[in-house]
Amino acid sequence: MFQQNMRVYVSLLVVFLCPAFAPQTARANSSTDSAAPLVAKKPTLPVARRISPLIDELIQSGMQDYAKVASPVCSDSEFVRRVYLDLTGRIPTVAQTRAFLNDTSADKRAVLVDQLLNSPEYARHLSQRLDVMLMERLRKKYINVTDWEEFLRESVAENKPLDQLVREIMSADGADPKQQAAARFFLARDGDVNELTRDISRIFLGADLTCAQCHDHPEVADWKQDHYYGISAFLVRSFVFTDKKKKQTVFAEKAEGEVKFESVFEVRDKTSKGPETTLPVVFNGPKVAEPAFKKGEEYKVKPAKDVRPVPKYSRRAQLGDALTSSNNKRFARTMANRLWALVMGRGIVHPLDADHADNPPSHPKLLDLLTEELIAGNYDLKWYLRELVLSKTYQRSSTNELFASKSAQELADAQFTHAILKPLTPEQFSRSVLEATGQAELYRNSLKQKLSEATLRKNLVGYERQFVSLFGGLPGEPVEGFETTADQSLYLSNNGAIQGILSPRSGNTADRVLKIPADQPALIAEELYLSVLNRRPEATETKEVAELLSGKTGKERSEMVSDLIWALMMSSEFRFNH
Amino acid sequence: MRCDYACGSHETLSRRSFLGGTAAGALSMLGFNGMIHADSAKKLASQQKQVVVFWLSGGVSQLETWDPKPGAETGGPFLSIPTSAPGVQISELLPYTAQQMHHLALVRGINTKENNHGKGAYIMQTGRKQQPGFAYPYLGSTFSHHLAPPNSPLPGYISVGAGGSSAESTFLGPRHAPLVLADGRAPNNLDRHDALSEERDLLRRTLRSKISQRFEQKRKTAHTEVYNESFDQAAALMSRSDIFDFSKFSDKDLERYGKHDFGRHCLMARQLVEKGVTFVKVGHTNYDTHSENFNFHIEQLGEFDRPFATFISDLYDRGLLEHTLIICMCEFGRTPRINSRIGRDHWGTAWSIALGGAGIKGGAVSGKTNETGTKVIDREVNGGHLFHTYYQAVGLDSTEEFYPNGQPIAKADPKTEPIKEILA
Repeated sequence: MFQQNMRVYVSLLVVFLCPAFAPQTARANSSTDSAAPLVAKKPTLPVARRISPLIDELIQSGMQDYAKVASPVCSDSEFVRRVYLDLTGRIPTVAQTRAFLNDTSADKRAVLVDQLLNSPEYARHLSQRLDVMLMERLRKKYINVTDWEEFLRESVAENKPLDQLVREIMSADGADPKQQAAARFFLARDGDVNELTRDISRIFLGADLTCAQCHDHPEVADWKQDHYYGISAFLVRSFVFTDKKKKQTVFAEKAEGEVKFESVFEVRDKTSKGPETTLPVVFNGPKVAEPAFKKGEEYKVKPAKDVRPVPKYSRRAQLGDALTSSNNKRFARTMANRLWALVMGRGIVHPLDADHADNPPSHPKLLDLLTEELIAGNYDLKWYLRELVLSKTYQRSSTNELFASKSAQELADAQFTHAILKPLTPEQFSRSVLEATGQAELYRNSLKQKLSEATLRKNLVGYERQFVSLFGGLPGEPVEGFETTADQSLYLSNNGAIQGILSPRSGNTADRVLKIPADQPALIAEELYLSVLNRRPEATETKEVAELLSGKTGKERSEMVSDLIWALMMSSEFRFNH
Repeated sequence: MRCDYACGSHETLSRRSFLGGTAAGALSMLGFNGMIHADSAKKLASQQKQVVVFWLSGGVSQLETWDPKPGAETGGPFLSIPTSAPGVQISELLPYTAQQMHHLALVRGINTKENNHGKGAYIMQTGRKQQPGFAYPYLGSTFSHHLAPPNSPLPGYISVGAGGSSAESTFLGPRHAPLVLADGRAPNNLDRHDALSEERDLLRRTLRSKISQRFEQKRKTAHTEVYNESFDQAAALMSRSDIFDFSKFSDKDLERYGKHDFGRHCLMARQLVEKGVTFVKVGHTNYDTHSENFNFHIEQLGEFDRPFATFISDLYDRGLLEHTLIICMCEFGRTPRINSRIGRDHWGTAWSIALGGAGIKGGAVSGKTNETGTKVIDREVNGGHLFHTYYQAVGLDSTEEFYPNGQPIAKADPKTEPIKEILA
């Protein structure tokens, strides 16, 4: 239904929108999006200002020759593919591609961006990206993964402010059925204080403090053991508790317990001052003081066998506030940077969890601006992403004449002179394979009236899981860089699940291509290229297709079409968001 | 009980890093067009050479293996035993290995001055101290680069039960990154799909690479290079899928090697060496014994000893040992001081490794530590010396240089030299 309505919706927006007040109008209009049961509610956040031009200014000022060496703004073909992948997690369908390329209105890019941001697919895609960021594909433990995914999806769909989402996750103990799903963050990690400390600092504070567990960080002068145990101190009293009667597992808390730490090096040197303790504290922020209770009066519910204790004062309840408080700019800065990396392909601070003095941001002023604006904009995800993707920086082509010459080394990714090639995530890759082959279209057609983002995904999720297991990295570990494996290329080359969707079936890509008369090779090549690579073929490519199909009929012709689809889909052009 | 020191997790190399990838960063930095392949004469002479590394991750104790100090306050409870090499004694925890000692040499004077898992592993696998801004290739990639026959369909570097990251090959490119056999299994989907003929398969691949090439003009290609390479590797693996058929080990062999992962991995390594794979890494883990050091070593070495010894003896029996260099090492040793938890901590100051086979003088010992094992008192060596030794053992000149991007990079630390007394 979403897809059927899209053209109508585009034209509606074109009629109503005017660039000068585009953001406001988009917000107001989002309620008219009839795309469906899962559409975002009308955002209620205040309208924040445009920062795309400032982004471009600050990027440009980061490099003397920037204007001279930067890539031009990308073509419509590059843009439509890129923005669909970044905002909805898949390539556009052949119809969506054609519609965009044929649209002659001047503001069509902004219109498309608003439309995608308000689509149900945006909520799915962005919540999946947040899921990977927060959970790193950890498997189920205590909490249903589907419930958690739905919690995230709904949060993104209603454009819940990101700081609020994080506070909800940090305060969920799983006891309240309404917030049970959000407790997955703690429970999937089995409440392990060290694992949680590591992940909270890495994910929300841009600091991989792992090495500061046993001693001050050996390589990063900024990171001390105190930082590590400051975070741990919020969590040290919490533990996983299973209520046997209710058959429910929650993240419970005691009223006492301190972190104790000493450097393993000091012990060896015999210079140890003995173990230290610290109050909860987020980096160099204020220490969270706590009320004193008379002995015996610390609990609302006292600990006993098979009873979940409830302390009067919860240390852990302070964690969400302390993390997202205005005292702690690290949170906003890390989120601004992570979301930037999500669409730009690289952090302004990079790696994303190495934000410290010896690893300065490529564009410090820009990162400051983004941090301030994210706070001022009330952590409005849609607004922030919209500003990023409407910047020229985002819209630069991935091609650059200099790459072919020796001076290519001048074009460091960190200068954002060109669009960085982003490997498709496993979810993007699987969904895009299904779009390119027309398999997703087959499901859309079969669902007809019942078609919604949720029903479609249900049909496609089997493919997604295969890709996630092969391309998704180790559970509990952040994805770093681009890794290809033998398992992956063998799967793509030989597995039946890929081979099976290449053959013609009524309405899929191979079928559409085969229905075009053999004496119209230009149309055949166009249908192939628009379906798989979302662009029209070059003359040489048309010629190549024509030659390959020339004289072939029946099974031979059909096989050649499938092989062409495979070859296009396995090319680097498809594998990367460019 | 696992000793859970978080710092070590940095070195947890991912199961899934197969054929290149994060090498991309280094590739783009250096550009590997400038690489010189001129050492081909040497390459020819040494083409038959192979290397197997046994990697005991976590840091096995030298006192409970190659350099026992029975009776010393730091010595622990175990005795030392005589071996098949006259005058050489090792820990009683390695009775089977002791019988193969005439094939092995010991280096007892190692001082790498590094007590961090990640950094220690880096030194031992690259021969250098880690330094910002430059990444040396790991030895698996290095020897794959030097010794693997050009255009061989076999992967040059296979890691069995030892992890491995695509970043290991750095400027040598994805061709020499480890192929990791996840959980000791052969890769899935090795056979061509029934619906495809060989011709169709070839045509598809040719087309695929043509289309990719067009895209890569005027684009930054570090990532795409790696992606393309992975398809070539897949095709190569398919053509030699026989090396991964691990179904035919005899019951007798399974019994001899032991029915546990490490035993099976050693058998797999034997087959890979037999089938001509240039470099194989086999892992055995959990030696980070900050507590219960002695119980742990009884358990771990109890599993390690027999398959390791059987591997060496099998290679000898099959005539493979004379051209296969064996290295048994880890990131560092363990402290002579026994801590309050009956554990030993990290110790890069005075420790040992064992090596054998090609180019190595069986039964030789280099280096000596003091009575309590706290200090090297004779023939102190570091990662650089070891790398010169590995190179020379397989007949390569370790004083040459790599030229990534035209910049000379010494193959082994020029301030060090080979440990001649253990070279045959």
